[in-house]
Amino acid sequence: MPDVNVTIDGHKLAVPAGMLVVEAAKLVGIEIPVFCYHHKLDPVGACRLCLVELSPGPPRPQTGCTTPVAEGMVVKTLSPMAVQARADILEFELVNHPLDCPVCDKGGECPLQDFTFRHGYPTSRIDGPRLHFKKPIPLSETIALDRERCVLCYRCTRYYDEVAWEQELTVGQRGVQSFITSQFDQPLQSIFSGNIIDLCPVGALTSRVWRFESRPWDMTHTASICSKCAVGCNVNLWQRRGQLVRVTARENDDIDEGWICDRGRFDYTDVNDPTRLRTPRIRGAKATWADALQAVAEGIKGKKVKLGISLPADITNEEAFLFRSLLDGPLRGARVKMHGRTALPLPLGETLRIKEIDDARVLVVVASDTENEVPIVNLRIKKAVSKRGARLIVIHPDGVDLDRDPRTVHIRNAPGSAAAEVRKLASNELLKSAGGLVAILYGDGLGSEEIVDLAKSCRELAEAVGGKVMPLYRATNERGALAAGVAGWDSLDGVEALLSWGPPPTAGIPKSVKFLAVWDHLPRPQNEKAAVVLSATTFAQRQGSYTNLEGTVQFLRPPIEVDQPLKDSWEVLTELGVALGMNLDYAGIFAIQREAAATIPAMAALAQPPSAEPEPQPVLVGPAHP
Amino acid sequence: MSTLPAHVLDEIRELPAKYPQQRSAVMPALDLAQEELGYLTPEAMSEVAVALQLDPGYVEGVATFYTLFHLEPIGKHRFYLCTNLSCTLRGANEIVKHVRGAIGVHEAGEVSKDGLFSYEEVECLGACEYAPVARLDRRYQVDLTNQKVDALIAERRNPVVQPPHPAAPLAQPTSPRSGEVKPPKKRTKKSG
Amino acid sequence: MAEQRGTVGGPVLTEWFATRDLHKLDVYESLGGYTALRKVLKEMTAAQVIDEVKISGLRGRGGADFPTATKWSFVPKDHPGPKYIVVNADESEPGSAKDRYLMENSPHMLIEGAAIASFAISGHQAWIYIRGEYDLPYEMLRDAIAEAHAKGYLGEHSFGTDYPMDVRLYRGHGAYICGEETALLESLEGKRAQPRSRPPFPAVKGAWGMPTAVNNVETLSTVPWIMRHGGAEYAKRGTERAKGTRMVTVSGDVQKPGNYEIEIGVTYRHVIEELAGGALPGRKIKVFWPGGSSAKVLPGSMLDTSTDLDYLKSIGTMGGSGGIIVMDDSHCVVKAAARLLRFYAFESCGKCTPCRVGGNWAVRTYERILAGEGSQIELGILERVSDGLQNGRCLCGLGDAAGWVIESTMRHFHNEYEEHSLHNVCSVEAALAHA
Repeated sequence: MPDVNVTIDGHKLAVPAGMLVVEAAKLVGIEIPVFCYHHKLDPVGACRLCLVELSPGPPRPQTGCTTPVAEGMVVKTLSPMAVQARADILEFELVNHPLDCPVCDKGGECPLQDFTFRHGYPTSRIDGPRLHFKKPIPLSETIALDRERCVLCYRCTRYYDEVAWEQELTVGQRGVQSFITSQFDQPLQSIFSGNIIDLCPVGALTSRVWRFESRPWDMTHTASICSKCAVGCNVNLWQRRGQLVRVTARENDDIDEGWICDRGRFDYTDVNDPTRLRTPRIRGAKATWADALQAVAEGIKGKKVKLGISLPADITNEEAFLFRSLLDGPLRGARVKMHGRTALPLPLGETLRIKEIDDARVLVVVASDTENEVPIVNLRIKKAVSKRGARLIVIHPDGVDLDRDPRTVHIRNAPGSAAAEVRKLASNELLKSAGGLVAILYGDGLGSEEIVDLAKSCRELAEAVGGKVMPLYRATNERGALAAGVAGWDSLDGVEALLSWGPPPTAGIPKSVKFLAVWDHLPRPQNEKAAVVLSATTFAQRQGSYTNLEGTVQFLRPPIEVDQPLKDSWEVLTELGVALGMNLDYAGIFAIQREAAATIPAMAALAQPPSAEPEPQPVLVGPAHP
Repeated sequence: MSTLPAHVLDEIRELPAKYPQQRSAVMPALDLAQEELGYLTPEAMSEVAVALQLDPGYVEGVATFYTLFHLEPIGKHRFYLCTNLSCTLRGANEIVKHVRGAIGVHEAGEVSKDGLFSYEEVECLGACEYAPVARLDRRYQVDLTNQKVDALIAERRNPVVQPPHPAAPLAQPTSPRSGEVKPPKKRTKKSG
Repeated sequence: MAEQRGTVGGPVLTEWFATRDLHKLDVYESLGGYTALRKVLKEMTAAQVIDEVKISGLRGRGGADFPTATKWSFVPKDHPGPKYIVVNADESEPGSAKDRYLMENSPHMLIEGAAIASFAISGHQAWIYIRGEYDLPYEMLRDAIAEAHAKGYLGEHSFGTDYPMDVRLYRGHGAYICGEETALLESLEGKRAQPRSRPPFPAVKGAWGMPTAVNNVETLSTVPWIMRHGGAEYAKRGTERAKGTRMVTVSGDVQKPGNYEIEIGVTYRHVIEELAGGALPGRKIKVFWPGGSSAKVLPGSMLDTSTDLDYLKSIGTMGGSGGIIVMDDSHCVVKAAARLLRFYAFESCGKCTPCRVGGNWAVRTYERILAGEGSQIELGILERVSDGLQNGRCLCGLGDAAGWVIESTMRHFHNEYEEHSLHNVCSVEAALAHA
C-alpha cells in the first residue's frame, strides 16, 4: 500500500497507510501521551489520554491510538481542544491517585508523573477524600499490586488474555469500584506474569524482588542477553553499587518482542548473595589461582575416561571453544555432561527464525511443552495463531497450554512415537492447503523420543510441505556448544575425577569420584567433599556470546565488573590449559572470538565487534503547561 | 467433592455448542450454577470455569461485573426495589423503609433471620408506568403499597401451594392508543 | 416548531393490542400476523425489503434515531460467514418501559420483525438480547419462538422455503451499559460489557466478529406493519422529517402513567396532559425529561415542545427512548439530579477515565451539597465534571448522558443548586413543610 501524506502540528510527513496517529507522531518527535495504548497490544481507546484534534473530522477530539492515518489528515495536538482534553483526562486520572510518589518504586520512570508535568494542569483542584483500597496486595511472590495507584488502563489484563492466553489476572466489579485482582486472590502462577511490571504505566504493579531497592537514576544498565534458556531474549541488566538489582525486557522484534519470562526476570538474586565464593580454596584453605589451578590439573590430567566434567547450561561460545581445545588435548577422552540440555543434535540445513513464526500459516509443535522450555517462543506461537490466523497442530502425549485455543489440533502420541505422527502429517489437510510457510518446532520430549529419527522426520515433513524446522533446545547455549564440538551427552557414572563447573550435577556427585574439583559461584553442601574449589563469575559479570536456538549469535554486556580475586572464566580456562601443559595465550576475549570465528563457520559472527551500545530512548517533550 | 451436582455440570458442558463461540456460554452457565446454589461461591465459579475450559479468573471477572450475579447468600426471596427517578417520585423510598422493617433487617443485602428475605435497591426495572415497582421471585410486583408489601411477605412466610403461572402479559394494555391516531377499523374479512 | 402533518390512519404498533391472548401464535396470525414474513420470504428480495423500509423513513427507536434501512444496508450481504440481527431488548433507560410493553403484549410481532430484518441483511439468525430482569417477557418470547418453530415458521425451512431462519434468546444479567450496542455485543460474547472503540462498526465486525446490525425492539416490531401496508403508508404519519408513530412511556408525577403510541410531532402537552392525565391534583409540572433520563431536561414552561425528533435535537435535547419522566413542584431538582448521577456512576462500566472517575466525583460532590457541606467550589466542580464528561471525552454515550443531567438541570434550575450549595436550603421542602 502506498504511503499516506499527513500533517502533524505543522510537520508534513509521509507514513505507511494504516499507521496509527500516535505512532506517526512519534516519527516527528511529538509525544501524544498514552496509558492504555501499547504497541504490542490491540488498541482500545479506553484511557482517552491521547485525544487529539483531527481534520477532517467531527468537532470533538478523537483518540489517536485507535485512528489510523488517512491521506491529507491534519492532526493537531496543540490546539486548545486537544490541550484541554488531555489536561482534563490527566486531572481525572489524578482524582483518586494517592500521593505516593515519595514511596512509589515507579518514581523517576513514571509516565503519569512525566505526563502530568508536561501536559497536565499546573495546580490541583482535587479536594476531599480519595478512593481507598487495601494495599499492597501480593499478587505472587514477585509482584505487588497497589489498587489505589492503578489507572485501570487494563494493559495487564489485556496482555494476559491477548498475549499469554491466560486469565488468572482479571478485573473485579465495574465502574469506579473496578480493581485488578488475581483469580480468587490466588497467587499468580504464570511464567509470563512479570511482564505486567514493565507494562504498567504507574506504580500499581511493581517487582517485590526489587521493592524499595533504588531509584532509576541511581542505577546504570547494560544491554545484555538472558542466560536462562535457549531463546536468548534481550534484557537490560541494572546494577547499583556492584549489585545486580533488576532485570527488565529490552525489545528485540526478531526474538522477544519486548517480553521476557519470570525466570529471566526474577532469577538473579544469587548474583548478590553475600555468601558468594570469591577466593579459590584447596581443601578449605585459601589459595592463589596458580596453586589452585595446579591442584586441579594434577587431579584431572591423564584420567581419560575416568574423568568426568559437568558443564553449566549457560556456557558461552567462547568458553565452549576454549573447552573444546582442552578436550582435544590434555583432557582427551573425558566424559562431558551439560546441565539441562536436550538430546537434540545440530540441525542439518536451514533453521526457521523466530520472527518467521509471524508469517507461518501452519505451526506444528512436536514433543515440547513450549511454555516451560522456550517460553517466549511460546508467546510468539500464540501471537501467530490469535493475531495472524495461523493454524496450530500439537503433537504431545499430554495437554499443553497451547490447547487453550479451541481450534488447536492436538495429536496425543504414545511417548516415543512422535516421529511416526510427524510422518503422518504429510497427508494432513491443513498442511497440504497451508498456502504459505509451515513452521515445525520440535523438542526432545524430555528424553522420551528417539531424537535422530524425530529430527529426520521433521526435516522430511518440511521438505514435503514447504516448511522450515526449529530445534527447541533447552539449555542456554546448546547450539553454540554443539557448534564448538561440545555435546555434553555423556553419563558421569563411574568417573573417578570430576570437574564440576557450574551448579552440581542434578543426579548428584557419583559415588565413584575420588577427586572433586568444583568451579561454582555459591557455596554448596557438595563443596565439602571438594579437593579444590574455584570461585566463578556469574552471568552478570560474564563477557562473551550465546548462540540462540535459531542460530543467532548475541553478545553479552556485563553490568558488573569482575573484581579481584574473581577471574573471568575465559582466563581461568586458559590458565587451566596452561597448567595442563598446553600452549595457550590470549590477550583478551576478543582474541578468542577471532580465533573461534576463523575456525568454526557457525561462529563467524564472533569476529564482528558487538553492535554499539543502544542509544538511550530520547525523552519526547511536549508542552509543559496547557 | 464438587459444589455443583453432576447433572448441572453436564448441562454446563453442553452449553458452548449452542453459541457461535465458547465464551458466550459463561453467563448461562453461571445462571445454572446460581439457580442450584442460590448464589455463586468461588468454588462454584471455578467449577463452571473448568467445565467450560476457561480460567477461573475469567469467570470471576464476568460474575462480578453484572448485578444479577450474587456472590453472597441472598435468602430465598429477594426484593429488588427500584429507587430510580420515577419510582422515587411515586414513593419508592418509603417502600424501601417499609420492606426493611417488615422483613426485619437493617440494611440492603442483609438476610432476614429466618433466611427467607433480603432486599436490594436497584436501578430502573422498566415498568415505570406502574411505579413503585419491585422484582420478586422472577416476577414484577407493581403499584406497590405498604399493604401489598405486607401481603407479599405473608404469602411467602406461609406459602400455600400455587398452581404454575401460565406465561401471560403483565396486564392488558393500559392505553394503547393516542387521541390523534384513529382507532383500528373493524375487520370484516380475514385475509389468508 | 416542526410541521404537524395531521392525523392519518390508525395505530401501527398497538393496532391489535386490545385482542385477548395476542401473544399466542394462532391469535396473532388470525389478525394478519406472519403474512409479512411469508410474503418477504416467498416473493421479495433482500434489497426490496430494504427499499420498502427506506421509503417508510423508519429510524431507530432505541434512542440513536438512525435510519433503519441505512443501517441494514451497511451489512455486506456478500460476506461469506453468518450475518446477525441482534435485537437490543436490554431496555434499562430510566423512564422507558415501552419495549417491555411491546414484548409482553405481542412477542410474535418482534419475532416476525427480527426475521424480516435478518432476511434483509441476508442473515439467518437473530439474537434477542433481553435484560435479565425481564423474566416474563423472556418466557413469553421463549414460548412464542417454540410456537413458531412448531408451525415451521422458524427452522431449516422457514415457511416451506429453503431459507433457514432462527431467532435465539440471550439473557443479560444486570448492566445498563448493555444498552450500548457494542457493549451489548461484548456481553453476547460472554465478556464484561465494555463498549468497543468504533471503527470498526458492528456492520463490519459485530457479534462474534461477524457483520451485525443491532436494532431496538420497537424498531423491529414496526417492520411487519410496514411490509404489510407498504413504506409509503407508514410515511404518511409523523412529520416531514421524522416519520411514523412511536411508543412513549409517561411516568412520574402524572395521573395516568402508561405506555402510549403517539404520532411523531404531537406536543408534549398533548402526551402528558391529554393522554397521561396531566399533573397530580394541586401540583404544577416543574420539569420533564423528554426521552429518558439521558435527555436534557425541559422546564414545565416548555410543554408545548413538539415530539419531532429532529426538532428536539435542534433545541439541544432529544426524543431518546421515549421515556417521558414528569416531575412536579413537590420534588427537588438537585436531589433528582443527584439520584440520577448515582445511577450513571453505578452503571459505568469503568473502561474510560472520564466516565469512571467523573461520574463518581459528581456523586460525591452532590452528596456534599445535599449534606450541607456545599459551596461555590462544589458548583464549580459539577460544572467542570459535566464539561469533562462531554465533548468527545468519553468512549460512549453513558458519560455524556451523565454530563447532560448535570448541565441541563443546572441551566434551568440554577436557583435550586445555589440554594443548596450556598445557603444549605431546599425551598421545595420548605414549601411542602409550610403547606
